[in-house]
Amino acid sequence: MAVASLPHQQTEHVEGGVDRFYEETRDLRLTGFLFFLFSDVVLFSAFIFAYLYLRNSGQSWPPPGIARLDVAFAAWNSVVLFGSGATMHYALENWKHGNFNKYAGFLIATIVLGIAFLGGQAYEYTHLYFVDKISWAGSGIFGASFFTLTGMHGFHVAVGVVYLTVLLLQSVHGVYTKEKHFGLTAGTLYWHFVDIIWVVLFSIFYLI
Amino acid sequence: MAVAATHVGGGIADHVHPEPQGFIRRYVFSIDHKIIGIQYLITGFIFLVLAGLLAEVIRTQLMNANGGFVSNNTYNEVYSIHGSAMVWLVVIPLMTGAFGNFVMPLQIGARDVAFPWLNMVSFWMFPVAGLMLFSSFLMGAPVAGWTEYPPMSLQGEAGTSMWCAAIFLVGISSTLTGMNFMVTILKMRAPGMTLTRMPLFVWAQLATAPLSMVATTALAGALAALFMERQFGVPFFDPTKGGSPLLWQHMFWFYSHPAVYIMILPAFGMISEILPTFARKPIFGYKMIAFSSVTIALAGFMVWAHHMFTSGLAPFMQLPFMLLTFVIAVPTGVKIFSWITTLWGGKIHFTSAMLFAIGFVVLFALGGITGIFLASVPTDLHLHGTYFVVAHFHYVLVGGSLMGIFAGFYYWFPKMSGRMLSETLGKWHFWLFVAGFNGTFLPMHWLGFEGMPRRVAVYDPQFQFWNRVESVSSYVMTFAILLFFVNILVSLRRGKKAGPNPWKARTLEWQIPSPPHYYNFKHVPTVYGLPYDFSEPLPYRGLDDELNDAPAPVPAGAH
Repeated sequence: MAVASLPHQQTEHVEGGVDRFYEETRDLRLTGFLFFLFSDVVLFSAFIFAYLYLRNSGQSWPPPGIARLDVAFAAWNSVVLFGSGATMHYALENWKHGNFNKYAGFLIATIVLGIAFLGGQAYEYTHLYFVDKISWAGSGIFGASFFTLTGMHGFHVAVGVVYLTVLLLQSVHGVYTKEKHFGLTAGTLYWHFVDIIWVVLFSIFYLI
Repeated sequence: MAVAATHVGGGIADHVHPEPQGFIRRYVFSIDHKIIGIQYLITGFIFLVLAGLLAEVIRTQLMNANGGFVSNNTYNEVYSIHGSAMVWLVVIPLMTGAFGNFVMPLQIGARDVAFPWLNMVSFWMFPVAGLMLFSSFLMGAPVAGWTEYPPMSLQGEAGTSMWCAAIFLVGISSTLTGMNFMVTILKMRAPGMTLTRMPLFVWAQLATAPLSMVATTALAGALAALFMERQFGVPFFDPTKGGSPLLWQHMFWFYSHPAVYIMILPAFGMISEILPTFARKPIFGYKMIAFSSVTIALAGFMVWAHHMFTSGLAPFMQLPFMLLTFVIAVPTGVKIFSWITTLWGGKIHFTSAMLFAIGFVVLFALGGITGIFLASVPTDLHLHGTYFVVAHFHYVLVGGSLMGIFAGFYYWFPKMSGRMLSETLGKWHFWLFVAGFNGTFLPMHWLGFEGMPRRVAVYDPQFQFWNRVESVSSYVMTFAILLFFVNILVSLRRGKKAGPNPWKARTLEWQIPSPPHYYNFKHVPTVYGLPYDFSEPLPYRGLDDELNDAPAPVPAGAH
């Protein structure tokens, strides 16, 4: 099924081929969505500041008795998440060019990679808990900052997986057209945002 | 001279929905910015009464040096909830939610805010959060003041966790309102209304909205961390587990210093509307006032640690924070001088709104001057934690923000209700309030200098005389506020009809009927200039039909 064959929603606002009402509301939504993402960045920044502040509060890092994190595993898991960013990009581009099948394939790949990342994180958490005996509340400021920040990020990924699934179902039901697909744009922005946050978290927890 | 944009049909400005008819959709879960603004106003005033009664509990306790009105622990609960409620449930929602919602879309010639449904959701979080905050009394309210510093807040009763949740919720409401207003002001102004033709109240909201959006989210992080530590034992702030109490202070003040500008910038905007209207003179220094709001908002993010000079902040950090704080006095001074120059040589009408506006300028300036004392490290080391601080922030918050709210209310009440408030009662309200206010808070300056500590239920008997003066004055202030509410209730029924423009003001909201129609404007006007050029013709076109019987705009489809 090609996008072009989807029914265009004709409204009385269309003048000279331009639906001004859609254009203007799209502009508002996009701006509002960017502001939402920005305030979410601030929320992460608050906890990142807390982590860096506690980390530099005098003791060695990682604190005594805490094993080093497994960088290699987290790096592979990061590749999975960054890969999903790429597939999401291609999904949106294919939608814009009317290739519904390619779009659906890339979007499903994104969702699968997102779930794989969450699986990897779950594996990492259980390994830390059962093998290294590191927990959220019981391992001092290390457990507090690591599990809170990566957990917040994991929650955002989980929300993203649900979000993208809803978008997939909506697009199958013809909610979006080749020209009018703000929901898909917003989903893509959100997914890239989750990716970028992970770049920062990976750097500050595993690399420095 | 910029050419006004031509109006192209088919956009949001031509998209009008029919007014909902049921009571619930119209007045309870309304998506109309005017109704939501009035909802914020009523809810905020209810919380003002409750938090004001808590203030009277504090003053009654302090009548005697050895207290005796309530127990010491109850006293701690009372001042903690008094402060929290006044900041988060009264001043911030009234400044942004009430006046921002009602006035700002009218002043930019929009039909509503950008996201009306989100606006409704933001509003309904606010009373819920308020009930949560007051319910903390039932489970042992927080006792560490509105700042809730650890480790004391970690040891508080269960109500401290409820406090975290309540402030988190009202913070989300504030963040969403900030986003909504940012998009509205940036994207939905009437054709021809460039940024430098916006009324100054809109400029003030534009400077406030990013503060609500950015700073409040940082507070949400701090509150979430405190909640997790209290409920699940996740160590962030407890020094025995490696955490840092100073971290809370950084996270808290990174929000709460910008928050003081959330609480005052909209009042600056209101004053900048009221002074030229009643001096019948163009505002002096329009661009300076507008840009100084933005400067204050930006600089407000770089001064938070001046609250922490005595908390063990590294000495090399103290100097930059002190100097940056001094710098904020510059844009604030620019505003105050511009207001004085606006009045200079004007034909001043001393209405109640104008009295409150002038009172605002004087009392806020006094509070600003004591702010300089506290910003400088050497004096702050002496004054920190004394009644001098209490005097300072009540001068800026009551003498500033609350006076601004009263000024704005007297000014815009005719637009909201279609009726005038009683000027006689208004003047009684003003003079009793100013007398009571100064009697309450002026002596706190020298009590603080002499070393009377804040947040204590009993004090040294040598301070008793002035404390009694303060307590009696605070009853006068409360009586003045009672007169204010009597005035509202009487005027709603018997007030004189206001007509569209009782003050002969020039901003857009006064060119349409009072109260405005559901769709605000029959035709969205085109703007040609600043609204402050008294004696010139109005700088708007397309408003001819607003005050006659021309038909309302046709609703767009059924959706």
